[in-house]
Amino acid sequence: MDYLKYVDGDSLLHKLDPRAKFIFFIVMAVLTSLVKSGVALLFLLSFFVGMWSVCKIQKYIWVLFKKLKVLLIFIFLLWFILGLFEQPKVGNGPVFFKTMISLWGNQKLLVCFDWYDIYKGLVYSLRIFLMIASFYTVLLTTNFSEIILGLQKWKISYALAFGIGLVFQIIPMIITELKAIMEAQSSRGLEIEACKWTTKIKNYVTFSLPLLFRVISKGQAISLAMHYYQLNFSVHRTAYKKIKASKYDAYFILANAAAIAITIILRMQFYIAV
Amino acid sequence: MDYKVNNISYKYTKDGEEVLKNVSFSIEKGKVTAIVGPSGCGKSTLVQILSQVIPKLISNGVLEGSFDVPKDTFVSVVSQTPENQLFGYGVEDAIAFGLENIGMSQKEIVERMEYVLNLLNLQYLRKRSVDNLSGGQRQSVCIASVLAMKPDILIMDEPVSSLDPNGKKMVQDILGELSGSGNTIVLVDNNLVWSAEVVDHVVGLLDGEVVFDGSKDEFFRNFELQKKLGVILPQEVELYRALSKQFPDIDLLYTVEEAFAQLRGRVEKKETLRKISSEENESIIQVQNLVKQFNDGFTALSQVNAELPKGKVIAVLGQNGSGKTTFVKHLNGLYKPTGGDVLYKGTSILGKTVAQISKNIILVFQHPEHMLFEETVEKELTFCARMQNVPFSEKRITEVLEKYHLAGEKQTFPLNLSMGKKHMLTILSVLFSSADVIILDEPTLGMDGFLIEELEKMIADLKAAGKTVIMISHEIPLVFRVSDYAVILNKGQKIFEGTKESLVEREDIFDEINIMMPPVVQLSKKLGFDEVVFQVDDFIKKVSAQKKA
Repeated sequence: MDYLKYVDGDSLLHKLDPRAKFIFFIVMAVLTSLVKSGVALLFLLSFFVGMWSVCKIQKYIWVLFKKLKVLLIFIFLLWFILGLFEQPKVGNGPVFFKTMISLWGNQKLLVCFDWYDIYKGLVYSLRIFLMIASFYTVLLTTNFSEIILGLQKWKISYALAFGIGLVFQIIPMIITELKAIMEAQSSRGLEIEACKWTTKIKNYVTFSLPLLFRVISKGQAISLAMHYYQLNFSVHRTAYKKIKASKYDAYFILANAAAIAITIILRMQFYIAV
Repeated sequence: MDYKVNNISYKYTKDGEEVLKNVSFSIEKGKVTAIVGPSGCGKSTLVQILSQVIPKLISNGVLEGSFDVPKDTFVSVVSQTPENQLFGYGVEDAIAFGLENIGMSQKEIVERMEYVLNLLNLQYLRKRSVDNLSGGQRQSVCIASVLAMKPDILIMDEPVSSLDPNGKKMVQDILGELSGSGNTIVLVDNNLVWSAEVVDHVVGLLDGEVVFDGSKDEFFRNFELQKKLGVILPQEVELYRALSKQFPDIDLLYTVEEAFAQLRGRVEKKETLRKISSEENESIIQVQNLVKQFNDGFTALSQVNAELPKGKVIAVLGQNGSGKTTFVKHLNGLYKPTGGDVLYKGTSILGKTVAQISKNIILVFQHPEHMLFEETVEKELTFCARMQNVPFSEKRITEVLEKYHLAGEKQTFPLNLSMGKKHMLTILSVLFSSADVIILDEPTLGMDGFLIEELEKMIADLKAAGKTVIMISHEIPLVFRVSDYAVILNKGQKIFEGTKESLVEREDIFDEINIMMPPVVQLSKKLGFDEVVFQVDDFIKKVSAQKKA
């Protein structure tokens, strides 16, 4: 299954002007940074799920979710554990366990396991997931040629736009290389499956050196290719393809505006301080 | 006017050794010039000088002499790895990239695009994404993208080294088109198997010096030099080399048809029925109803059954995408099957880790850079043995390094070796493992004629030691020289399994997978030999035995 790379398709998201998708990511990043209401975030998640399903990219998002699982659990646990040492800010929920632990001298520590700890952990995990997923939605549906064109339309210099586009071209290559290196080394007898986590970490040193050399040699090959194609950032370039907004961009912006408005209303209606 | 390489010498550092020494030759306009020579002879450095990478991008070396070309001559290069050269998501984006860089108007870009797509018969690819192209298609698009810029000289650096037979054919056809339409091409490749028909002029490099500069026919008649340069020749030319000793009047030949025309009057046809060996073999690996379906729903293998015989050399053949690599990755546990089983000596390997399986079945990958990471050649050589706790001695290390001409490189950083030697080193490290089944995926990648000869000897030694060798290779003559048994896959299904003698009787299989039988096999059938032969030496013996009085 493809990961961290553009997926060919003909969906609404694929048809959009890349600038509309860039705006979508920026707005969603700001929105998920500010909105801390569980109900509002759940609505936003359902809007995203609907959008992914209509554009038939939900299985790629599911792959992303599985890759992010550990990070999301970590974020949940972090906020959950911090919450154990706090009194619930909202007093009308169930408290599952509460005690005072005596420390040195007269110092005491409150440990309170209540619904609010779970809520807080879930809200923070959901915010991070939505933020990453909005970026990933853009990545899945915008190829690097469109990224470069879109950025250039925003008057970003070609050198910078090309550099950003190149990163998105190279990331999938590096992932493929790392996978091949891991397979090659394990084929030669390096145990990477049935081993302790300390060995697993050590193994990454074994993988990183060949990966580093592969990346360097790819970098060299790319710079040679840039020379063969006479790429010179100080010379004016022309463009074969042009991008322009269409009716699909209007539909997309309207749908997002409605979703944002509902999210804000829900946030005001159901806000619980976290 | 021709382009002149005039007394070029080059050192990468002031105090370093000269990698090119007074190199002089002409590149003829509108012709195909092949630059040949063994690994490390200076071919790549020469490409960098001709394409101005030296001194424009690499300026710290010492360059003497000159490349005499008219002002504003544009030289461009098609490299061996198109995925590192194509910029843009779609085929059109990739072709337009260079044209946009030189500031061409949109109208002109459209015209140039139509011109190259028509010239190279690539219109059907124009709406595809580069990622989804096969190796041959990708290399063709790469050639189109460079050609669209109308270079005065187009350099092709080992353009087919990693392609399957279909891909090679595609690039071969394109080279024919380009040659026919008067383009100036410089082909840098020690493998002339695919390009022999279109090459006009050959320049031979050895240790940085020009040792040959002449026509293709002169080169193919100079047997001593071909050997010295380690050039990989078409089997037809090897045949000519061997036949000319018996028939001094034989003409230089490049095709099976030419060979047949010259031999049919000299060889007596035997009408005896060819014997096909039917010996029973003990199997070492059994593949039972193997099915592999990937997460995206693609079925890479469908109900594959195979009994791989012990102590034999087994070729796994098929075009790219036929499921060969997926098949062998199941044999060493890298892939877990969706259905079916793989048994080693009667016991299932499912449930074991890849490292555990490697003690019995080991896989050597096709790109050595994926494997090499130790600081010295010596350490790299013993990597498998150390991972598997197999004892080894200093004496054995020295023996192997000496036998394969790596003794002088014992303390060298492996990644500094030539591509062919890197590949050889990863294969040699397997000799120190405990595995008795060795899988080689495209083992000839980057190797010159000398290294391929050594590889053939090594495979014969492994077989003599009772090991089973499973090999994926697109070098069909080599496959038929070294293998005993073949498994053929097509679109994820096994379409043939058996000895190579029985395989050559199945022309329908070769038609189905679009692979040509080696020339000696085709000729021994056409000439009516009493048995099919697979090697040039055996062919010559047969010709002697069936020579007309």
